[in-house]
Order: sequence, then C-alpha cells, then structure tokens
Amino acid sequence: MRISLALAGWLVCGTAAAETGSTGRFEFGSYGRVTTTSDGRGRTGRDSNIVAHGSRIDAPSYAELEFRREDQYSGGATSRVVATLALFPPFFHFSGKPQQQFGVRNLYATGSYGFFNIWAGSRMYRGDDIYLLSWWPLDNQNTVGGGFGFSIPSSIGNTHIAAQAGMLRLDSPNTYQSIPSVSPIGFGAISAISLDRPHTIESLKVTHTLTRSHIASLPERGGLKFIAYGELHQLAAGVKRDASLNYESSLPEDAGWMAGAEVGYWTGERDSHVSLFVRHARGLAAYDPLGVPTTFGNRHTTAGAHETLVALGANYEIGMFGVLFGGYARMFRDASPSFTSSEKFNEGNVVVRPQLYIAENWGLAIEGSYQARQTAYAAQNGRPGVAALVRGAIFPYFSPSGRGSFKRPQIGVIYAVSARNAAARELYAQDDVFAHRTFEHFVGVTAEWWFNSSTYP
Amino acid sequence: MKLSKVVGIALILALPGVACIEALDNSIKPLKRATLTDDWRDEVVYQLLVDRFANGDVNNDYQVVSGALARYQGGDWRGIINHFDYLTALGVTTIWISPVVRNVETDADVDAYHGYWSQDLTQTNPHFGDLATLRLLVKRAHESGIKVLLDVVANHMGQVFFYDMNMNGKPDEYIAGTGTISPVTRTTEWDPDFDPRGIQAQTSLGVAGRAPIIFINDPLINRIPPRPAIFASAAAYHAFGRVLSYDDPKQVLLADFPGGLKDLATELPQVRTALIDAYVQWVKLVDFDGFRLDTVKHVEHDFWRVFSKGVRDRLAAEGKTNFMLVGEAFDGDDALLGSYTRPGELDSVFYFSQHFQVFRDVFEYANDPTKRRGTDQIASLWSTKKGNYGTAPQPGGIGLPPYKALMNIIENHDRPRFLFESNGNLAALRNALTLLMTEEGIPCIYYGSEQEFSGGNDPANREVLWKTAFSTEGGTFRHIARLAKIRQQYIALRRGDTTVRWSSAHVGTESDAGIFAFERGGGDVGNQKVLVVMNVSESQQSATERPGLGLTTAFAPGTILVDVLSETPRQVTVDRGGELHMQLPPQSAAILVPQNQVM
Repeated sequence: MRISLALAGWLVCGTAAAETGSTGRFEFGSYGRVTTTSDGRGRTGRDSNIVAHGSRIDAPSYAELEFRREDQYSGGATSRVVATLALFPPFFHFSGKPQQQFGVRNLYATGSYGFFNIWAGSRMYRGDDIYLLSWWPLDNQNTVGGGFGFSIPSSIGNTHIAAQAGMLRLDSPNTYQSIPSVSPIGFGAISAISLDRPHTIESLKVTHTLTRSHIASLPERGGLKFIAYGELHQLAAGVKRDASLNYESSLPEDAGWMAGAEVGYWTGERDSHVSLFVRHARGLAAYDPLGVPTTFGNRHTTAGAHETLVALGANYEIGMFGVLFGGYARMFRDASPSFTSSEKFNEGNVVVRPQLYIAENWGLAIEGSYQARQTAYAAQNGRPGVAALVRGAIFPYFSPSGRGSFKRPQIGVIYAVSARNAAARELYAQDDVFAHRTFEHFVGVTAEWWFNSSTYP
Repeated sequence: MKLSKVVGIALILALPGVACIEALDNSIKPLKRATLTDDWRDEVVYQLLVDRFANGDVNNDYQVVSGALARYQGGDWRGIINHFDYLTALGVTTIWISPVVRNVETDADVDAYHGYWSQDLTQTNPHFGDLATLRLLVKRAHESGIKVLLDVVANHMGQVFFYDMNMNGKPDEYIAGTGTISPVTRTTEWDPDFDPRGIQAQTSLGVAGRAPIIFINDPLINRIPPRPAIFASAAAYHAFGRVLSYDDPKQVLLADFPGGLKDLATELPQVRTALIDAYVQWVKLVDFDGFRLDTVKHVEHDFWRVFSKGVRDRLAAEGKTNFMLVGEAFDGDDALLGSYTRPGELDSVFYFSQHFQVFRDVFEYANDPTKRRGTDQIASLWSTKKGNYGTAPQPGGIGLPPYKALMNIIENHDRPRFLFESNGNLAALRNALTLLMTEEGIPCIYYGSEQEFSGGNDPANREVLWKTAFSTEGGTFRHIARLAKIRQQYIALRRGDTTVRWSSAHVGTESDAGIFAFERGGGDVGNQKVLVVMNVSESQQSATERPGLGLTTAFAPGTILVDVLSETPRQVTVDRGGELHMQLPPQSAAILVPQNQVM
C-alpha cells in the first residue's frame, strides 16, 4: 500500500515539478590510487598475486573521476545524472605518451520518489566490497541497462527490493565479428556485422535491514542486514566465420544462474563491520561477465561450469588500534571434459592488516597474507600443482582526514615482500623473471583517496 | 528478534555453498607399470592418428581448420578414451598412437597434426592433452584389455634450426643464377638440398666452410630451441641438408628428412643416451607397452642395437618386459627390412615388402590386368622369411623370433588407401583383410579401413573418423570384427606355423587363377590346424585344382571342414586321396576348421 501511494505521488509530482521548478547542483567525486614502486632490483614493482582476488596492497594504479548533476524537485522527486571516467595506467608522467586509456564506467540517470527509484544507462551496479581484496564478492555488475527498486519499511525491519536487467557484448571474436562484404552499390567492400551475441543479465536483490529500533541489543548506530541475491545470464547463439576462407563455426546459445547471500553487521562506530558472503553460480554466471570463458564443454557452452565461494570482510577499530580482514575460499570448475583443465581449481586468500594509529593523522599498517590455488592440472612430474604465495608488508601513512582505516586520503610508503613456491613460479612464462624468483619486493610510495563518489559512498 | 536467531539464519544461508564443494579429481597418480602381453601374435593392432580419431575435448582445438586435412582437426586422447567401445567392438587389442611429444606447430601452412616434428621430447603435445589425460588413456586402455604402442622418432627433430648459408643471421630463401650463363636455383636455408660436404656457407667468392646452424625462437609456432638441451646444440645434428636420393646410403643415413626435419647425429653416445632417456621416461610415466619406431632405415644399425638394449634393460628393471620394439623401414626390400631384426636389434618390423608385393600387387591391382600378380608371389615372399628375418628371439625382447612376429599392414598413413589405389574395389579390400587377419604375424589395421575410407596420398589418406559417427554397422567393420573373433577363437590362426598349400601364377581364366591356400597350425599350438583358402581373381569362380592336381592338406581323408567365415553354413570334405576340391567365387575366402574343432 505504501509503495503504490509513493508511486502515485511520484506520478503526480511530475506535473507539480513542471509547474514549480527545481533546485539542483553539480557534484564532483573521485576514487583513485596512484602507486609508484620498484622491485628493488632495477625494475618497477609489479602485482604478484596468483589468485583471482589477491591482496590490494600491490594493486596497480587506477582512478575514477565522477561528474554528477543532482536535482530535487518541489513535488518531492529527485534525479541524478552520473558520468564516471575511469583512468587506467600508464599515466603520461610515466610513459611519456599523451594518449591516456580511459573507460566510461558510469553514464546513467536515476530518479526517485519516496521509496521508489528507477535508473537506466551504463552503470557499475554493486553491493558491498571487501576492501583488502578490492572485490565485490556478491553483486558486481557492469552492464548497460536499467532497473528499479523500492523500499518497504516495517516494524520487523526495512526491506529493499531491487531488480535490474542489462546487456553487454564484449569486443571478442566469440561475441562480435565484423567482416568485409561486397558493397551493394558501386565497388569495393563495406563492413557487415556477421556475429552479434549480446550477453544479458537480470538480477534481483532483496535487502532486509535491522537497526536498534528492531533489535534492542544492537548498538545505537549499528545494524544488521541480510541480502539475498540472484542473477540469470543468457548468451545468444551465433556463427563465427573465417572471412577469407568462409569456414564457419557455430556458437550455441549459453546460459547460467547465480544465487548468493550476505549477512552484514556494523557497529556504526569508526567503520567497524563484518560481512559474510556466500554464492554459487552455474554455467555462464560462474564467469566474470567482463572476461571471456576460455574453456568449454564439447558443445562449446559453459554448461556444467560452476563456482562456489565463501568470503568474509571485516574491520574493527578501537582506540589507537585497528584491524582489517579479508578472505575467501573459492571452488571453480570449468565445463571442459578434461578433469585436468587449468580452469578447475580451488583457491583462497587470507589477508590481515593490523594498524596502529599514531596521533590523529598518522598510521602504521602491517599486513600479512597467504594465497594459494590448487589446480587440477598435472605438472610434468605428474603431481597437481598447489601454487602458493606468502606476503608481508609494512605501510606507514599520513591521513589528513583523521584516524581510521577508511579515512582518506592516505599518503604513504609501501614495502611488501612476497615469497612464491615452485608451483607459483611455474604459472609464469620462462622468459618472465617471476618464473625464476622466489622472493619479490615491492617498495615505493602510494596515495589513495575517495570522496563524494556515488559508487563508493 | 534475537541475535541468536539472526546467526542461525546466516548459517542457513551459508550451507548451500558449503554443500556444493567437491574435491579435485585425483586420478592423475603415476601408473603401476606392468607387462600385459603374453604373446604379441595374439594382438590385433589398430593404428590411429590421434588428431583424426575422435575429438573429446574442444578446448585443445587450437588453430583447428576443420576440413583442411593438412591442418589440425581436433582429435585428442580424451576422444580415444571416449571410444574404447568402438575399438573393442572391432576386435582391436592394441592401439598404436601418434607421437605424444610437443612439436613445432606448423610450417608453410601445414601443421604437425601427425606428431613427427618433435621439438620437446619431455612435454606432451597440448593439442592431444596433458600428461594426466595420457595416463588416463593408457589406464583405461589397459582396463579394456587394450595395449598401447607409442610412436617415437629417433632419426630427426622438427624444423628447429636453419642453415645460415649466407651468414646474415636470418633464415632466407633466395633464387640464384641467370638462367642463361648459369642455372636458376632456389635455396631455402630451412631445407637446403643435400651436400656431401655438409651444408656450406656461400659468399660471392665461393664456399666458406660449414654453414652456421642457428636455432630460432618463434614461440607463436613453438619453433624454439629443442629439448632436452643436447638437441639445442649444433653438434647433435649431421647438417648435410635434405635427402635427394634414397639410393645413396650416405644420404639415407645422414640427410635431413623431407620437410627440413633435422637429422640427429645418432652415432654420438650422448645423443643416443638422450634419446633412450627421453623415451624410457615416457614408459615410466605412462606405462606404454611398446614402441613403434619411425624411420629406422635412416639410422645406423649400431644405434638400434644400443637403443634396443638400453630400452629393454631399463624397462625390465621397472618390471616391464615383453616390450615391443617394431620398426618402420618404408621400403619394399625384404632383405633390408629383415636387417633391422638382426640379433640385438628390433623385435619386429612392418612387413612393407608384403604390403607392396602382396596387398598391392595381388589384391589392389586385382582388377588391373596390366599390373596384377599371381598368388605365387605371396608364397615366394613368405618363403624368404627365415632367410631375411631374425630366427631367434631378441635378448630381453618379446620372446618371439622376428620372422614369426612381423607386423602386417594393408594401409598406413604414408600410403594411399587401398580403395583409392584399387578404384573402390571393396571385395578385394575385404579379401585382403581376410589374409591380414589369418596370416602369420601381427595384423595391423589402419584406422578408417573399417569405414571404407578411400583417400589418396597424404594428407587425403588421413581422414576424420568421427564424421562416420563411429558406426559399427558397415559391412567392412563387421567383416573385420568377425575375422578378429575367429582369430581369437582359433589359436592356430594366431600362433600356428604356416604351410602354403596352394599358390598360382595364373591371373586369367585358368581353373586356379587367383587361388591361394595356406594352413596354420603346428609349431607353438599343437594339433589345431586351420586351412585358409582364398580366391583373389576379380572375375571368375576358381577352384583348388588344376589338371591332374588337387589341393593336398594335412587333414585326414574324410575330414569334414567347416567354413567359419561364411555367414551361411558351408562344408567341404577332404577326399579319399587327401585332397580338397573347392570352388570359390571371385574375391572370396574360406577359413576351414575341422568340424569337431569348430567353436
């Protein structure tokens, strides 16, 4: 009933807003990290993670610039138009090249009235992350599409329901092909799109939030939330063609689904929180939609592939001390008939970062992590490999905005040393120094910030 | 709501994920090595090109060009694993698979789908699978009662280096000469013509000594320095260039094989050791049951003595005996073939002289009056076995004298298919298969014979088998399966000695034109005897008689013989004189067993 009233009000307010005008403002927000490091041996420092979600500490530079227009209309409706440019390294001062790689990550508009909101466009559509892993374990979509959501407040908690549908079509030979074709008029050739296989995703997310008003034992500003989340994936069929020889390969339609859940608890004090994630995906949904599956079942589909993961992220701060935690265990099985595919593996990563806050603006973080991947792939010695990497790091920093693990910006010095075992070294080509070195150093300076970003509120 | 209830809900949400966890497959443990063969004459060998037999995993279909037979087609070891039922239905007991080692990928738009362009003797060819899959293949084969022969190459590596003849540090192809005052010649530094001095460097002033050998690094086609490391040194190669004449013994032994396949200096002890080490290691890793040895006539005899002893001794120490060493000397010269079965060398060779003189001249040419030969040519060839081939088992070998264990072939991957050469003479093919499966030695069927493939020269004779949907309903498939069953039932057909009872030079309208008869029995099998009678005439019903003469058998007068090959009951009786008078339709055969011994 409250929803329909809200919707009716929103429909009415469209007229009212036109009559009475609006107030609005432009906003700028940003997320960024810029790091420059050495390996201590004369080369640049480099990410040495061996699992899908390694620790963030040696992550490469990356930045987003968000431009946003926000309006509030007198009838109660609001709107927001968001454009986010993402910048990828190398930057000009490093490479000397004026060309800069950037991507348009957000380009969408959203409107809301009361408990209802609707959006459409190109959007990073995300839930909660695990900071130390730089990862959104449950919902992290990057599509062009649209969605809506609405809230249902009640005495047993606040429920928010969000649905979305989007599409992406990667510029990959398996999803898109443009071939030269004889021009229908005159001479020569023109391009014809011969393969066009969009990947569509629909999702539904139900979030139920409890606060002290619902559970008396919760902290005053704390809360609990439960999230149930699911996705459906579809990939259209197509035919890939060798344009010169006219060989054709049929690419069948593909599909998948994912279901997952999250339980989160926060104290409301100094960003202390803990989040537990579980998800299971099958078929196409087991893969990152921005990646391209490289192995298939014999029908050239991902049917049979599956992924199961459990992840935990947490932060706790008290007085001069704080500790961040991130970890996950993931089982991935591709659809290939071979049981020794390199895409059948178990992996995991555990990262702990205790911190000492010195005075109000300084900090000293120490990080330890262990990551490993066991692959069902026989090395020539006949044994399955368990690639493992242990890392220790120290990160003293200056935090102008105050003490806390999530206060930004942070400007500091990083030193990390990683040790990889023989199986980890075998993941690299023989011409790569990583194939021959057990220890890897990563030393340099770094800055990270975020402010006023709608993606990282 | 209480906090404990909330935690309970969280656990319930987590459970579905936990329940989905499964262990990684652990079936890649090293295999136990075992000797599975008692007598290699009991085997029915099936030669298959891995790339062409079955595609069991599309994920290794790297650069497959479907339908272009000079390119990879996608077959792999997983495919073989999926089709052991097809092989056992055919009666196969041993498979001979393509080389397993990593190859140079491609050259001049022709791929190494066959496996003979070795680059790394220590790694598997990723087009076919990985070590675990290869192990699974052999494991499943052994569980199905099937042995596995591995194809190995000792003569050469792939096109892994070029001769820097003009010393400019890069591989060149050039044309020289004016065509008027000097001949126009084309030279490729990858594959120059044989030079008895060794390939020479050339400048405008003339020759400049042996051309430097340069190993190239082209990872895109895996043309990189070979392994083990000794094969990445110039000293490991003869470097005389490409063979021009197979009549020149020096070229046969020292020249590069066609295609720029670099000839190894197999006389060097360190090269010999490296080859023995590399190939023994595959048996230790995978438990193969024998080697098919490629291009043996291009390697000196002394190598084969050292190699054979080295392999046998090393494997015996691992508990693997009766390990078959069968060599391929692609030559019709019977004495040459036999030379590789001298004491201390190989257990067997492919019986190429029979392939040419019998299966080609007598069967393939049966419908060509200008080429066909009488069956006396079979008898004549067989009569030289004891003279040309080893008559004592090799020390530490398979326990059989080579002359009794020759590998008989109608087709292989280097010869046009029987049906191509015979203009589709299916009756002749089936009759030839009857001889193959009943004669002394070990029958070896080239994949696709059972599906009546008819491709011409390489690569047309390397068809894709899975396009047949692995049908077991075809007439030739059923004929082979029936012959294999009969061979299995009657030990005389596997282990018996041979006595030729009838052969004929007649190929026209004479009464016995095309008749050939031989008895199998005695020797290692005691009293059981089987008489095989065949008519290879293309046009007439012939008989086991000519004026004043009938077929004499070892069977007593009055013995009733039953044709166990015929699908309809057929009997003949040995007459009072001990002779057998029998008429056979064109291109047909009978396998005659005494009535009281029929199984």
